Amino acid sequence: MIEFVTILLVKTLVVFGVSMLIVAYSTWFERKVLGHVQLRHGPMRVGFHGLLQPIADGIKGFFKEELVPENADKPVFILAPIISIAAALSLLVVIPFGDSVTIMGKEITLYLADLDIGILYVLGISTIGSYGCMLGGWSSGNKYGVLGGLRASAQMISYELPMALAVIGVVMVSGTLSLVGIVNAQAGLWNIVAQPLAFVIFIICGLAELNRTPFDMPEAEAELACGYNVEYSSMKFALFFMAEYAHMFVFAAMVTTLFLGGWHGPFLPGVVWFFIKTFAMIFFCIWERSTFPRCRYDQVMKLGWKVLLPAGFLNIFLTGLWMLVFSG
Amino acid sequence: MELTLLILCGGLAVITSLMVILARNTVHSALWMVASFFFMAVLYLLLRMEFIAILQIIVYAGAIMMFIIYAIMMLNLRQETADTEPVRKSKVVGLGMLVVLFFVLLVLGVGRGIEALKGPVTDQMMEKFGHVAVLSNFLFSDYLLPFEVVSILLTAGIVGSVFLAKKGKA
Repeated sequence: MIEFVTILLVKTLVVFGVSMLIVAYSTWFERKVLGHVQLRHGPMRVGFHGLLQPIADGIKGFFKEELVPENADKPVFILAPIISIAAALSLLVVIPFGDSVTIMGKEITLYLADLDIGILYVLGISTIGSYGCMLGGWSSGNKYGVLGGLRASAQMISYELPMALAVIGVVMVSGTLSLVGIVNAQAGLWNIVAQPLAFVIFIICGLAELNRTPFDMPEAEAELACGYNVEYSSMKFALFFMAEYAHMFVFAAMVTTLFLGGWHGPFLPGVVWFFIKTFAMIFFCIWERSTFPRCRYDQVMKLGWKVLLPAGFLNIFLTGLWMLVFSG
Repeated sequence: MELTLLILCGGLAVITSLMVILARNTVHSALWMVASFFFMAVLYLLLRMEFIAILQIIVYAGAIMMFIIYAIMMLNLRQETADTEPVRKSKVVGLGMLVVLFFVLLVLGVGRGIEALKGPVTDQMMEKFGHVAVLSNFLFSDYLLPFEVVSILLTAGIVGSVFLAKKGKA
């Protein structure tokens, strides 16, 4: 019992620590990549090539003044960033970083929990996370904030559905809802080959759920002056920021797990493969951000309901047909 | 352990549900409702129904409450609604219904014992096949007709609400 608890505790701390480190350094990575895409250097002053910049930013966040607007709804205003970061961190529980390894004669699995319903857990909790944006925008009592919150909720509702439909295709091929099971099912053939349409839908919807350009409606700087988090300062703003990057990490890990074969790969150990693929996805997120301009709001809604949703249904239909003809 | 959790989460579900109707601010009401859905999900977990619990969170706490909060924000119901003249008749009727419901629950739950409400799904079955498999097997064989009828009912509801909303304009 003691041993079980100790192992679980250590694993939790490792997963938490590594993920927080990745979250901190993906901000640095994003600024660097964006800089180089735009023929700039990005952060250079703090440490070698700005490597200590995230730490400096964190310290600055702690020491800044905390402001709560006069006409804010105070309890909800404080609750919103907490919901955001808590949901993002709870998602780390089910990510399968790798297969099991043997340390000191003990077999240790490289994931915290293998839920029977893993993928549904991810979909459910990430919805809860978007309450953070909505409530943050609404409670700050600022018109830009409210508009950002409204857009966040509309976008979440519209893109969650096609995302779930894309996942259904993967679940049909793998025959399980458990993330570890889905990775194991890809030992021979990665799902990106078996489910190309689902892959495209999932990536587009994921970018929309992450509020990244071209879908960064809730915080469109040019129109909404940063949108839902306009009134937040200091650590509360930092929590929103961390949640956003934690979500990006989870999204990259989900694409890796669902479509890119998870920890499977030749020569190198599984964990290394997992992180290579995940970082490739994170790089993709930053790359496309520096490539595409922001869509118009009505275009975003149209794309969600009129293109991606039917495409999701089509994918399920085609997958069913395929399974009926070739394996049934 | 299980009993403690049951009493704790059941109690919290009741308290948060009460807060839904007692809160003055509409958004606060909606948030209390989300909290209440979470405690309901824990109750499902205690019944070893992981799948139902996560559906409760995805569908109710996630999608439906998101729609409701969206509507509230859209209509800008931010200011606390003033306490209007109490409507006596509806309060009396509501109280009467509450008493009737309470007795129905008393008779069904306590009178006949919880045993009477058990379905065909057992613990052994779920351990052997997994929750989702057991549930879907029942849903798509024995209970196929009710399942489909419910979906037709929901579709009818959607069509009806679209019709009502369009009536004035078209």
